[in-house]
Amino acid sequence: MDKCGMYLGCNIPFKAPDIEQSFYKVFPALGIEVVDMEGATCCPAWGTAPSFDVDTWLAVSGRNITIAEQKNVDIMTGCNSCFGVLSEARHMINHDPERKKTVDRNLGLINRKFQGTSEIYHVSHVLYKNIGVDKIKENITHPLTDLKIAVQPGCHILWPSEVMAVKEKNSFFPTILKELCQALGADVPHYSKLNACCGMGAMRSTDQVRSLGLVKDKLISMQEEIAPDMIVTTCSSCYLQFDGAQKILREKGEIDFQIPVFYYTQLLALCMGFDPKQVAAISETPRDAIIQKIQGATRLVN
Amino acid sequence: MAAINLTKMDKKEVIQKVIENGGTGITKCIQCNACASVCPVAKAGFPLYGRLLFRKLQTGHFEEIIEDSSSWACQACNRCTEICPRDAKPFEMVFAFRRMQANELAISTSAFTPLMNLHATGHAVYSEASKDLRVSVGLSPEPVTSISSEEAQQEMRTLLDNSPMGELGIF
Amino acid sequence: MAKVGVYVCHCGSNIGGVVDVEDVCKHAETLSDVVVSRQNLFMCSDPGQEIIRQDINNGLVDKVVVAACTPRTHEPIFRKVLEGEGLNKYLFEMANIRDQDSWVHANDKAGATAKAKQIVASAVAKARNLQPLEDKYVDVTKAALVIGGGVAGIFAALDLANMGNKVYLVEKEPSIGGVMAQLDKTFPTNDCSACILTPVMVDAGTHPNIELLTYSEIDSVEGYIGNFDVKIRRKQAYVDWEKCTGCGACADACPAKTPDAFNAGLNNRGAAYIHFPQAVPKKAVIDMTHCINCGGRKIGSEPKISKKTGNPILAPCEKACPAGAINRSVAVDEGGRIMDVKVGAIVVATGYKVMEKENFKNLAPDSPNVLTALQLERLISATGPTGGQFLRPGDGKKPHTISFLSCVGSRDERHHTHCSRVCCMYMIKQAKLLKEKYPDLEIYMHFMDVRTPGKDFDEYYTGAIDMGINIIRGRVGGIDTLPEGNLRVMGYDSDLAANIEIDADLVVLATAIELQDDIKPFAQKLSLTLDGSGFFKELHPKLKPVDTPVEGIFLAGCCQGPKDIPDTVAQAKGAAASAAVPLSQGRVRINPTISEVNQEKCSGCGICEPLCPYAAISMIENVAGHPRARIEMTQCKGCGVCTTACPSTAIQLYGYTEDQIMAQICALTA
Repeated sequence: MDKCGMYLGCNIPFKAPDIEQSFYKVFPALGIEVVDMEGATCCPAWGTAPSFDVDTWLAVSGRNITIAEQKNVDIMTGCNSCFGVLSEARHMINHDPERKKTVDRNLGLINRKFQGTSEIYHVSHVLYKNIGVDKIKENITHPLTDLKIAVQPGCHILWPSEVMAVKEKNSFFPTILKELCQALGADVPHYSKLNACCGMGAMRSTDQVRSLGLVKDKLISMQEEIAPDMIVTTCSSCYLQFDGAQKILREKGEIDFQIPVFYYTQLLALCMGFDPKQVAAISETPRDAIIQKIQGATRLVN
Repeated sequence: MAAINLTKMDKKEVIQKVIENGGTGITKCIQCNACASVCPVAKAGFPLYGRLLFRKLQTGHFEEIIEDSSSWACQACNRCTEICPRDAKPFEMVFAFRRMQANELAISTSAFTPLMNLHATGHAVYSEASKDLRVSVGLSPEPVTSISSEEAQQEMRTLLDNSPMGELGIF
Repeated sequence: MAKVGVYVCHCGSNIGGVVDVEDVCKHAETLSDVVVSRQNLFMCSDPGQEIIRQDINNGLVDKVVVAACTPRTHEPIFRKVLEGEGLNKYLFEMANIRDQDSWVHANDKAGATAKAKQIVASAVAKARNLQPLEDKYVDVTKAALVIGGGVAGIFAALDLANMGNKVYLVEKEPSIGGVMAQLDKTFPTNDCSACILTPVMVDAGTHPNIELLTYSEIDSVEGYIGNFDVKIRRKQAYVDWEKCTGCGACADACPAKTPDAFNAGLNNRGAAYIHFPQAVPKKAVIDMTHCINCGGRKIGSEPKISKKTGNPILAPCEKACPAGAINRSVAVDEGGRIMDVKVGAIVVATGYKVMEKENFKNLAPDSPNVLTALQLERLISATGPTGGQFLRPGDGKKPHTISFLSCVGSRDERHHTHCSRVCCMYMIKQAKLLKEKYPDLEIYMHFMDVRTPGKDFDEYYTGAIDMGINIIRGRVGGIDTLPEGNLRVMGYDSDLAANIEIDADLVVLATAIELQDDIKPFAQKLSLTLDGSGFFKELHPKLKPVDTPVEGIFLAGCCQGPKDIPDTVAQAKGAAASAAVPLSQGRVRINPTISEVNQEKCSGCGICEPLCPYAAISMIENVAGHPRARIEMTQCKGCGVCTTACPSTAIQLYGYTEDQIMAQICALTA
């Protein structure tokens, strides 16, 4: 693979565009051309069409997939939710002939046809499977030696493993993100609530208090068990939750610590020497100090 | 609470509705509770999660629980589906219930904004403020998605307007 | 002119509830050669049989058609009726209007009745053309083969041997004993497993009629009931068992390391090892796949000579053996040697294995403190890796809190849908034994539901509750790994209707019972079939629980389905009794419904020979020196493959001749 259709979703381009910018920086530098998916819409998010009607969900997801098919590329998503929605939709269309017929009929309304030629990957899959940890190691100029990371892979990239093109060896004890972070030179210890839910997504909009309860549980597991220098995720929803919730929890007096949060490609871009003002500029939980530390002169190699 | 007279519950009708809405595993569930043991909705303290919801549906409860918002807290994490020993796909049952609620418009008002956004822009999440944010990190004010394509937005509207969702009058 | 009697059975409401029996009876009367047509609620009952008896006795009928259930179970009953009245028993035909009609068309009564009429017409058409056949007999080899030396195989072998039969007891491991030898105690009496099993093992080992063939496997089985030809592979032990005294010096000296399967992988053993301390026979073997050939002492190589002493440099095992039973200079066949035996009956008692924890990804399989129940059994056994001290494998700490998880891999569509039947009870046993010994232990048992259907079982279970063992109804969905090797069990308490978490030091998984990975090729060697759960299939789930589709081969123990020790022993004794029937009769009947070649019509083309699944056909030369096919009657099973394939229509299958089958087809298409 030397190019991939960049499926942006909603949260990344509109809430965390510095993540989007980090894609444009790191992937070409690592040999993957990022192909724009013009006219792509929402995946559609779990709380929208999937919560109303399966066929409408499949039609909207199917339409997004056809954009990549027309460009003859696979899809790479930066958001776990989008990855889950698109992967499940593609699996259902491919495995249920009745659903496929309905999708064909619906997409016929807008002169599109689902072919099934484009696979759905996640940013972390492309980094891990296509680029590989060795190439990442070779391309970083600011290694994370002596820094400790708590990883947050997120749910939709793990389950249901049946529908996914790339699978963890054990989805309950995932290692892909851990290995990607280790490639940056960081220490990535295990913490017990690694595969627990962060509480973002539908739960956050349904009941903020309960949603914050889950992220608090995770934060405490991280802090008490490994006291990390930062939290790293490959899910934009998890990113927004960890970044935003810490501020609220601190204000409520429920936690007395704060841990900077990065989307993985932001951190990778920093390790490759890209400008933090472009790739890691927007956050609720401050991260200037850790960015300075990462890009500090003492750390520079080569 | 008074005893539930199971003989007077519309069990068949509710189960049929769940199946029609994608919850085909509803009759397979044996209430082993594995799903609940790892469910974020249960752990966060919502009252009507996984196994309990499925039991309610199996025993013909629908009107009684239609207003409960627990199902809308489901993260679609699918951990339940990964471990269900009956391969009943619990996630799909939760979403089937959601669809049953949604089609009666038994949803919270906060759910309407993303739907209207979707119809208008092709994106469930969108804000004008994003333009400045994007420019600040060196990007164009709008991404190359449907937000910058009237044609794409029109396609989305065609799909939504011609779907059962279009008949609900939410757009 | 045949005089056909038709007898239609209601089978209670099985047939009568769907098919209009009266109508079928009336229709039968209209068929050619049918002289009488009658019905009864249960034709197989004594009054039912009596109706047929009288009609034969009165000279009314000379061919009999019973329209009822399946010939598989009921044909022998009706044939006996004919025989009793002096009529050839093969002048009988059965029309299956239950399994193939009323059961499958329960919602279409008119259709089922019409189909019943057709099935009966077809049977009558065949019956009109039936010819008398004679049973044939062959002598029986008065010896039995028992495959598997666990508790089932041992008891089957002992009973057969005590009845005066020669018994070959084959076991793939170096010792008999099976899984029971690995257990610490047994439910619901808590007797020590070794204490009750070891004397029986010794009995089997010393019985004059039992030839113990351990470290051996079945290579092939040919032949038929009464006369099976079996090739047994005696695996190469690389130790001369004639000389070996079982002292264990070689095992102590061996520096190689491989997980000890007897201790469920909890510790390592050498490549040279003795299976377990109470092994029967107590003989050492060298497991060559893990041997490291110390000092370059490959088998069959000359030893190097020490420059210092001038003596040959021997491997530690050779040096250590005081009996001179190990000599690595001698080249031996690594495939072992084949031993041919002839037996009249076979008992399959190949046992089971439990699933490994690696199959259960959500249950922290990589943690050393997550064990299978069999591993726990070894951990608390006096002969186990810790000498019975209850210390967890991860760090040797004494556990304070244990969680037991039931139905791991059982009742689970991703693994096995069956209930493994013994797990509830053995988990309770393990919990009780631990709680008795260490009253401060906190024990949590997570069940989907507790199954205790056995004598004294429920009392045993409620006793566990009395002891303060926590019983929780709700399946565990996941385990988190905590710092310092501890585990967070994520469960659900149905009675509390709440999520629960247990911070456990040790987690025990009751993993499912299943058959060994290589069971399919083994089953093929014996022409046995497996059921939906992967166990050996018995001939009839109720009435022929130890029989198999292959006459003369019987089943005992967990290879037929999960069961506890008492049930296993009972079944083993049942299988032995069944296997003894042909051995004591001295001869077995050969079914005459088999194929024969008409030598006059045979062209000698040889097409039939490779088609025969039972290798019953050979090409011989006739007096004129031309090749002709010949069928060995003792090997033919009457499948009919050769009959349909013969281009010269030279092969006749008795009981299914061409005119009989054509008559059936005409009746069905009329």
